[in-house]
Amino acid sequence: MEGLVAVAIGVLVAAGVYLALRPRLFSVLLGITLLSYAVNLFLLAAGGLVVDAAPLTDRPGPYPDPLPQALVLTAIVISFGMTALVIVLTLRAMSERGHDRVDDGPDGGPA
Amino acid sequence: MNGLLLAPILLPLAGGIVAMLGGRRGLAAERLVGAAATILLLPVAVALFAVADEGPIVSHAVGDWPAPYGIILVLDRLAAWMLLVTAIVATAAVLVAIGRSDGAGRHFHSLFQFQLLGVNGAFLTGDLFNLFVFFEVLLIASYALLSHGSRPERTQAAIRVAVLNLLGSTLFLVAIGCLYAAAGTLNLADLAARAATLPADRLGLWQAGGWLLIVVFALKAAVLPLGFWLPGAYGVTDGAVAALFSVLTKVGVVAIVRCCTLVFPGLDAGPVLWAAAIGTLTLGATGMLAARRLSTLAAHAVVLSVGLLLVSIAHFTRDSLAAATFYLAHGTFATAALFLVAMRVSAVRGGMGDALAEGPALRGRLALPAAFLLAAVAVAGLPPLGGFLAKLAILDAATGARGAAWTFAAVLAASLVSIVALARAGTTVFWKVGRGDDQAAEDPPSSPLAVAGTGLLLAVVVALALLAGPAFGRADLVAGQLLDREGYIRAVLGGRPGGGG
Amino acid sequence: MPFVLALLPAALQRARVPPSAAAGAVAAAAAALLAWQAPAVADGQLLLFSVPWVPHIGLDFAFRLDGLSLLFAALIVGIGLLVILYAHYYLSDEDRNGRFFAYLLLFMGAMLGVVTADNLLLLLVFWELTSLSSFLLIGFWRGSAEARQGARLALLVTGAGGLALLAGVVLIGDIVGSYSLGEVLAAGDAIRGDDRYPLLLALVLLGAFTKSAQFPFHFWLPHAMAAPTPVSAYLHSATMVKAGIFLLMRLWPALAGSEEWFWVVGGTGLVTMIFAAYVALFQHDLKGLLAYSTVSQLGLITLLLGLGTPLAEIAAVFHVINHAAFKASLFMAAGIVDHETGTRDMRRLSGLARHMPYTATLAIVAASAMAGVPLLNGFISKEMFFAETFALPAPWSWVMPLAATLGGLFSVAYSARFVHDVFFGGQARDLPRTPHEPPRFMRVPVEILVVICLLVGLGPGLIVEPALRLAASALLQGPLPAFSLALWHGLNLPVLMSVVALAGGIALYLARRYLWSLHAETARALSGKRITESTVTALSAASTWLHGLIDRGGLRLSLVALLLVALAAGVAGFLPGPPVPTKVPLPAGLAGWAGFAALACAAAATVVLHRERLLAVVCVGVIGLVVSLAFVRLSAPDLALTQLLVEVITVLLLLLAMYFLPQRSPRESSGVRRAVDAFIAFLAGAGAAVLAWAMMLAPGETLSGFYLGQAKPGGGGYNVVNVILVDFRALDTLGEITVLGIAAFAVVAILDRIELPGRPLDWDGRPWPAGRSLLLEVLSRPLLPLALLVSTYLLLRGHNLPGGGFIAGLVTGTAVLVQYLGHGNAWVEARLPPRYTSVAALGIALAAVTGLASLAFGAPFLTSTFGYLDWPVVGRFEVASAMVFDLGVYLAVVGVVLSVLATIGRQHNAPEAG
Repeated sequence: MEGLVAVAIGVLVAAGVYLALRPRLFSVLLGITLLSYAVNLFLLAAGGLVVDAAPLTDRPGPYPDPLPQALVLTAIVISFGMTALVIVLTLRAMSERGHDRVDDGPDGGPA
Repeated sequence: MNGLLLAPILLPLAGGIVAMLGGRRGLAAERLVGAAATILLLPVAVALFAVADEGPIVSHAVGDWPAPYGIILVLDRLAAWMLLVTAIVATAAVLVAIGRSDGAGRHFHSLFQFQLLGVNGAFLTGDLFNLFVFFEVLLIASYALLSHGSRPERTQAAIRVAVLNLLGSTLFLVAIGCLYAAAGTLNLADLAARAATLPADRLGLWQAGGWLLIVVFALKAAVLPLGFWLPGAYGVTDGAVAALFSVLTKVGVVAIVRCCTLVFPGLDAGPVLWAAAIGTLTLGATGMLAARRLSTLAAHAVVLSVGLLLVSIAHFTRDSLAAATFYLAHGTFATAALFLVAMRVSAVRGGMGDALAEGPALRGRLALPAAFLLAAVAVAGLPPLGGFLAKLAILDAATGARGAAWTFAAVLAASLVSIVALARAGTTVFWKVGRGDDQAAEDPPSSPLAVAGTGLLLAVVVALALLAGPAFGRADLVAGQLLDREGYIRAVLGGRPGGGG
Repeated sequence: MPFVLALLPAALQRARVPPSAAAGAVAAAAAALLAWQAPAVADGQLLLFSVPWVPHIGLDFAFRLDGLSLLFAALIVGIGLLVILYAHYYLSDEDRNGRFFAYLLLFMGAMLGVVTADNLLLLLVFWELTSLSSFLLIGFWRGSAEARQGARLALLVTGAGGLALLAGVVLIGDIVGSYSLGEVLAAGDAIRGDDRYPLLLALVLLGAFTKSAQFPFHFWLPHAMAAPTPVSAYLHSATMVKAGIFLLMRLWPALAGSEEWFWVVGGTGLVTMIFAAYVALFQHDLKGLLAYSTVSQLGLITLLLGLGTPLAEIAAVFHVINHAAFKASLFMAAGIVDHETGTRDMRRLSGLARHMPYTATLAIVAASAMAGVPLLNGFISKEMFFAETFALPAPWSWVMPLAATLGGLFSVAYSARFVHDVFFGGQARDLPRTPHEPPRFMRVPVEILVVICLLVGLGPGLIVEPALRLAASALLQGPLPAFSLALWHGLNLPVLMSVVALAGGIALYLARRYLWSLHAETARALSGKRITESTVTALSAASTWLHGLIDRGGLRLSLVALLLVALAAGVAGFLPGPPVPTKVPLPAGLAGWAGFAALACAAAATVVLHRERLLAVVCVGVIGLVVSLAFVRLSAPDLALTQLLVEVITVLLLLLAMYFLPQRSPRESSGVRRAVDAFIAFLAGAGAAVLAWAMMLAPGETLSGFYLGQAKPGGGGYNVVNVILVDFRALDTLGEITVLGIAAFAVVAILDRIELPGRPLDWDGRPWPAGRSLLLEVLSRPLLPLALLVSTYLLLRGHNLPGGGFIAGLVTGTAVLVQYLGHGNAWVEARLPPRYTSVAALGIALAAVTGLASLAFGAPFLTSTFGYLDWPVVGRFEVASAMVFDLGVYLAVVGVVLSVLATIGRQHNAPEAG
């Protein structure tokens, strides 16, 4: 299971990084979203994996480590706020410049 | 428990919320709240400075949960020092913003307060994840402030900085994951206490987490090669915002200092930081030379100041940390002042902006060139201002250390280049006049508040030089406290033995 | 020695009305103070005054007044007074403002600081101040390009020297252990014996030579002649250029007496003296000639210092005095000529003796002093110099006198040229102005100086010997050798050398025409200014190129740099050894594999399809779903719920945004770039996977035991994750909803005042469906109350079961969103107040105030409490203050979600409405 989760994280990171390096902001947004999934899984895994249980102490154990879960919850919400902001900035850039390119370079600059 | 520790966090929080709600009553109400909340920070910061100056580290266990289980706010000398620096720069910036530019977009004062909330929180917190949260607060506020004022290049800069820092935040979380997996705690003092007793099989994780953390902080601090984002952002944004931002890089620097002195002395990051710092210094200096606008020049000066700071910090001796602490204050004030001057130059020269090219005559002006001269002297590290004293102290502390010759050469060459760049900029903007004398007539009225804001910063720069003796004394105590790991751990964890679950 | 302290603020203050008089008064006050202190020094006292400034780095406000300081201070103040008087008449009304005199006083103060500092660091402070104030003075006529360039050049060269000096001084301080002059001077042996002596000597000499315009750093001085003439007379004859000489004298006991000192100082002085004297001969600009002659005379002094014998030092001090007197008067005379004729070009000037006989006489006397004509002061110090050149061992005992004679010869020639070209010869043609004598008081300073030249020349023993003895003994820090100053020592070799120099110099001047053509060809090639400027230009160009490259790299460069550095950081962590698994892995199970496969496929699809934006969003949605399921499986129900709801809202946001964005991303990047990116992505993915794997298989003790154990007894809830969020780590949560709140405000701020172009047709070119979906409309209406009910339930149970403020808020937000989708903006906003940002603000405020309440009870911020209520019907019910906090979280989340979506949605409707 651990190996599987690790590879899953790796796959998400690789896909996320590739997309984040694309020249269009929309792709970058998707890449950032994938990266946030990956890091959420990663952070959860920091407490070690426990399958089919819950951090509810009125139930019998074993319990997963609750702290990473709390951190991940915070991280999810924060990354939602960040994503919303970047989406809105993208819209604004679109209205100001008429395109959603990231850089004005030869490789992704204006045609 | 000391409730005063909450003030630097709760005051901007309240200010931000009230300014937002009050914003519906118009800009005037928003301004009032923003200015009041910022200026109130000054006495709070002074009071906290006095508290920290008594010696012992003071803490506040939020939620009454003892460290390391709950989040603890810790006021040591460094935190108090930075809170005071922040309060001063923020006061100047808010005054100038009210005088000149806060109406250029909505919610300026709310965002400004939240920015302060994040910065102050980052200085005070004693918990790694909480540091992440405050970083996010200051970052998201900074993206919004960066785009303040409706200009396409500002939007673009905000997007770049935001995307880059999203990746940075991702890495921050990865680092937190590694460190938690390795040491099982998030409290900085507890992490420090456990560093010594880590089992060998988790050492790799611990070190990887430590290095990643340094990388993340270096990104905020704009250290080479992670600082390419800064000039394009600080150089285009509103001057008052840029002035406030000159504190932001210092948040990264302070985080590096804290994490290297307290948690990761075993990582021996000094040599790597030193090399990166020399590079940063060089990059900043060449950037100043290459700059075509005054605000871009100031932005590169920020990079240079980060390089100079880290050159000294990287030695991690008491003297080098003391010199860096003094320069933390001076460098921040100086670059902030230069941004404010650039902003005014830009306003006065109309369509020219602050481009470094022959422009309309600034006839009959004495205060602006004088302000530029003072700011330039401060930034270039010329005597008698603090930059020179800091440079002396930094070099003094570097004699005998590894690579001293390189340190000397790089620091002095960077100084020379920055002198050349500033002299050229000043002579071009203020002396090289003539073309279009007649079209220079239109002159926006100077706002007394904006003048007061810039004046405040410059006065503080001068005062810091005059009071350099006591200031260095305090900086030395800051350094001494930073190197006393045991003292910090004891103060935060109390009697509880570190390393226990 | 309080006088310096009193002087500095006075000197620095801006002299306002009338500027010249105020400046004069300040200078006069300084002179009076100096005179008041002089007798004490004359008695052999060493006056010290010290106030700590920055004791931490050994920098004190420490001043000393000994013979050497007194002599230089007297020069500075005395000539300063004369220059102020002169400048009052020289400057036009427009220029004669406070600025000029303020700069001048600033400079005077800095110079006095240099000569009286008792602390090497303090000396450095003043040293750099002289560079800075001279920059301002040289560039005083800011409109002129030459003035600006000259000022920058001077600042660059002397600034560079100052920085070198700084390094040298820091080294000295490191060796001696103090920056105090007394201790440094006493530690000469230690300094000379240190390994770093050659280095620090080179650094200090760089400072001194740049300041005193020694070869090859002399070139800034002629360009500094763009300054107003009073400035040149002051800075570039009497004072600033002497700062370097002063430094050499001051540090003589500490640094001199070594082979290195002799070769470098003496050699530089010799070369400078001859080279500059030669060049001076060919200057056509009066001030240019004087500038090079100054360089040459400074070279002579440097050479004397380099010789290292006590008598040579005395001669050096003596020549400093003499040079100050005759050169300042010559500059002033040149200024008078310029002022009255409108030109300084010696090819145009001639025969002025007829028009201004009085000035001519003064200039002739001063120039004769410079040439070393007997009966004048320059003669005596030059004789001493000539005599000293014999004191060297062979072969120098004959080389040096020859060189000295050559230098003297050149100086006679250029002095002759100065006099003859300007004041004699035929009637001048087409001068810009008709020449006549200057105002009476403009001549006074010149007269005073020329009289001094004469008096010193006639009776040296009477006039200067006491001062000289005083200064020289302070310089040497030891007993003085026997010497006598006299006009006539009998017919000896030095006299012969003087005669040769005089005769040869005049002959050379007569032959000047032949030399000029020769010189014209060689001069251009060796322009220090050009070299410096092209260096700066090249450096600027390189910087511009470098930063242009970085700018073009844009975001991608930053991202790649960050990724690579982060990878390096991860690798660095494992350098001591690769990760070692210590735990047996869990079985993956079929569900695990299925989930993994779905995730991998969806990720691959996202990458492959990312240009088809709609499909890519769907794929991302699938991945989010799989991650939510993974959270369920991995015992994190709260996370699963949160992730799912955030997923829904994020996808909605992306879809809303797509209305304004291109539907497809064009293929813009080259194959190479894609390959490079894919490689980086692979590295990053592999790094993350290895790190995650290492992390999961090396479990250790964590704090979790405390949280699991304390959740119920300490926090009042069974759902440990929720208790952590609202209690143990409530500050995180407060920060987190603040982030959300900021996002809401920022969204409003960012989308303020912009117009997004609407899209009349959908992406396939069809018009949008006009009506709304009836099904959605009907279904959505009961959804809201239902969702509110569910939210309340989730909120209340959150402390014990999965749920809580976040999840409840997201549910409510989604439900209201569905109302927007089903009914449109107008319908919803008629029923719900659209001030969502206020809701968010209130939510944050509520959470914060809940936390503050605990302060009222003397507990720390965000301390929670809980108890139990017996409600009728519902039964026993737990109430925790943390729940109020959670309510704040709920409100914040609802407010944020809705304000973000509504703000974008309103953009959506704007084109339709309009």
